Amino acid sequence: MSATRIIDKKKLADFLETLSSDCEVIIPTVEDGNLLFSELGSSKLEDSFKGRPIVSPKEYLFPQKEKILAFDTTDKVNVDIKAYTNDKKRVIWGIRPCDLHGIKTLDAIYLSDFVDTYYQARRKNTIMMGLNCNEPCETCFCNSCQTGPFASEAYDVVFTDLGDKYLVKVGSDAGQEAVDKIPNLFAEATNDDEKKAGELEEKSKQSFQRKVDVDVAKQNLPESWDDALWAEESEMCILCGGCNFTCPTCHCFNIEDVQCGEKASIRMRYWDSCQLGGFTQMAAENTRENQAARLRQRIFHKYIYTPDKYDGAIGCTGCGRCIEVCPVNIDITHILGRVASK
Amino acid sequence: MIENIYVPHLMTITKIRDEAENVKTFTLEFKDSQIGKNFDYKPGQFGEVTLFNIGEAPISITSSPANKGYLELSVANVGKVTSALHQKNEGDVIGFRGPYGNGFPFEEVSGKNILFVAGGIGLAPLRSLINQMFAERNKFGKISILYGCRIPNLLCFQNELDNWAKLENSEVLLTVDACPENDWKGNIGVVGSLLPNIDIDLENTVAFVCGPPVMIHFVILDLLKMGFSGDNIITTMERRMECGLGKCGHCNIGEKYVCKDGPVFSYQQLKELGENI
Ligand SMILES: Cc1cc2nc3c(=O)[nH]c(=O)nc-3n(C[C@H](O)[C@H](O)[C@H](O)COP(=O)(O)OP(=O)(O)OC[C@H]3O[C@@H](n4cnc5c(N)ncnc54)[C@H](O)[C@@H]3O)c2cc1C
Ligand code: SF4
Ligand code: SF4
Ligand code: FES
Repeated sequence: MSATRIIDKKKLADFLETLSSDCEVIIPTVEDGNLLFSELGSSKLEDSFKGRPIVSPKEYLFPQKEKILAFDTTDKVNVDIKAYTNDKKRVIWGIRPCDLHGIKTLDAIYLSDFVDTYYQARRKNTIMMGLNCNEPCETCFCNSCQTGPFASEAYDVVFTDLGDKYLVKVGSDAGQEAVDKIPNLFAEATNDDEKKAGELEEKSKQSFQRKVDVDVAKQNLPESWDDALWAEESEMCILCGGCNFTCPTCHCFNIEDVQCGEKASIRMRYWDSCQLGGFTQMAAENTRENQAARLRQRIFHKYIYTPDKYDGAIGCTGCGRCIEVCPVNIDITHILGRVASK
Repeated sequence: MIENIYVPHLMTITKIRDEAENVKTFTLEFKDSQIGKNFDYKPGQFGEVTLFNIGEAPISITSSPANKGYLELSVANVGKVTSALHQKNEGDVIGFRGPYGNGFPFEEVSGKNILFVAGGIGLAPLRSLINQMFAERNKFGKISILYGCRIPNLLCFQNELDNWAKLENSEVLLTVDACPENDWKGNIGVVGSLLPNIDIDLENTVAFVCGPPVMIHFVILDLLKMGFSGDNIITTMERRMECGLGKCGHCNIGEKYVCKDGPVFSYQQLKELGENI
């Protein structure tokens, strides 16, 4: 790829503004005190750097609720089936390295074997612009999961905050094209700029408050299957599903027909949560009948099943959101710590 | 246009038969005959059946690939989608996408004696395999079919059971757990209680087990006690399913998705997967 560039911080707004002329630009922004992703214009750019958004940007690739098909049975025999499509072009700016990695995991799930039509359409039309983390949040542990705090892959363009300017690295043709739209906004980076970024990365890596020995935890997990820790750790769970809904790699969903009028319906899909009792409910039985089994599923899915099934990388990005969101302080780093110390 | 994996095909219900109490068998033909011609499947595979404006449910294909031009589904009425299907008439149209799942081993077990142990509606997926085996009869040794239900009214495919029993080198043994009407002359007891009544050449027999989870559990224990190896016990897993495509996560056990990597597993594989069976 092309040489590393810099852009003056004051000019970032111009860059995003220009991009927004032919696509939707999404950036982190503060709403009711929470940092969320939303459309440029309704948002203030200076808010966008205030740490990790409380949700990942997966909503833009795999919406919390999505119309997939529409049925009309007015003609009983020639039932009309319409498939929804989505070809909105988007740039998402300010994606943290953990979330870039999360999207890579979603790609592995949705784009392998049967290709998920809806995810593929959105993914193809989305340009991902990352923002490296100079200051991890209290719950972040991406360093342990090797997904951050600086991105090494899975971005189209990635920015590093150097104070009054950004270092800009391009990671794909689509990223190159975006940057080339307004070349005069960018200047060539100097060795000093690159050196500064390197120092920031080192400093960031030193400032994590949480650490998990992922290799040891992974190694010990199978042995922990029948351990009392699953019941102990899940005892307080109130089945809110927050940990799943904020997770950048949780991909589970329900499919449901929502009736509109007597002879028509929309087939929707909704995020679902493996922490909820109904997730495995069948006519005759529930195959994961207690919360201990459900918590174990969440952890095993991320740390054992996903790496076994796909390319070896764990399905946890270390973003720490499940810790932050949990109303009863169920803490994945604490659980993995217990497993690792067995 | 990109192929959309969630779009069902339209199928016409050409025949409905009362199979047993609360169970009906539906014969379906693709409205688009071209799709019908290209549609190929293996016994043990299933499809997601759409009742428009109601929802979807995973249902095994019970017809055999040896019979071309139509599909059969045998469905117990247990809830929203299945009861809506039971209200349909011949000529009505429903949706179907599939076939999904791995299906039963077939060539892999040729040359073997085959033991089927089925409970209730669990005979539906096995029936597909049984008929395909009878269609290629010389590939297999003795075929034994043990079938049990709670009460006689729940026995499915009675005509076929009679026919299979008459075929050369095959046997059919039936049982019911109880007989409230006292009109049953056969065996009474769980299906596993039939096992001692048949001669089994352990080295050369592969068992296929399908039915409600409790029944599968106990029959597998019986077979293991008799000396069957885990590799020679083949069963199907029932799990909550939404997509059938390995995406929605509902049917996940270990690194497998039952909908895609299963629903057919050997007992050996299930043991290695861990989660309760
Ligand atoms: C691979 C596979 C093959 C199957 N083959 C057959 C078959 O050949 N014949 C047959 O009669 N049945 C079969 N089933 C079971 C059938 O899918 C369920 O009975 C059906 O989904 C219930 O749907 P419903 O809308 O009628 O019931 P609902 O109103 O949805 O619910 C009735 C009960 O079924 C449970 N349930 C709901 N959705 C599912 C689901 N997706 N999977 C499992 N349980 C669910 C509910 O929790 C509830 O307890 C099969 C299931 C699987 C997984
Ligand atoms: S987990 Fe790592 S990459 Fe994600 S926000 Fe925290 S420091 Fe940044
Ligand atoms: S966020 Fe906490 S309380 Fe809510 S489902 Fe997850 S573990 Fe349970
Ligand atoms: S049914 Fe959706 S993953 Fe298996």
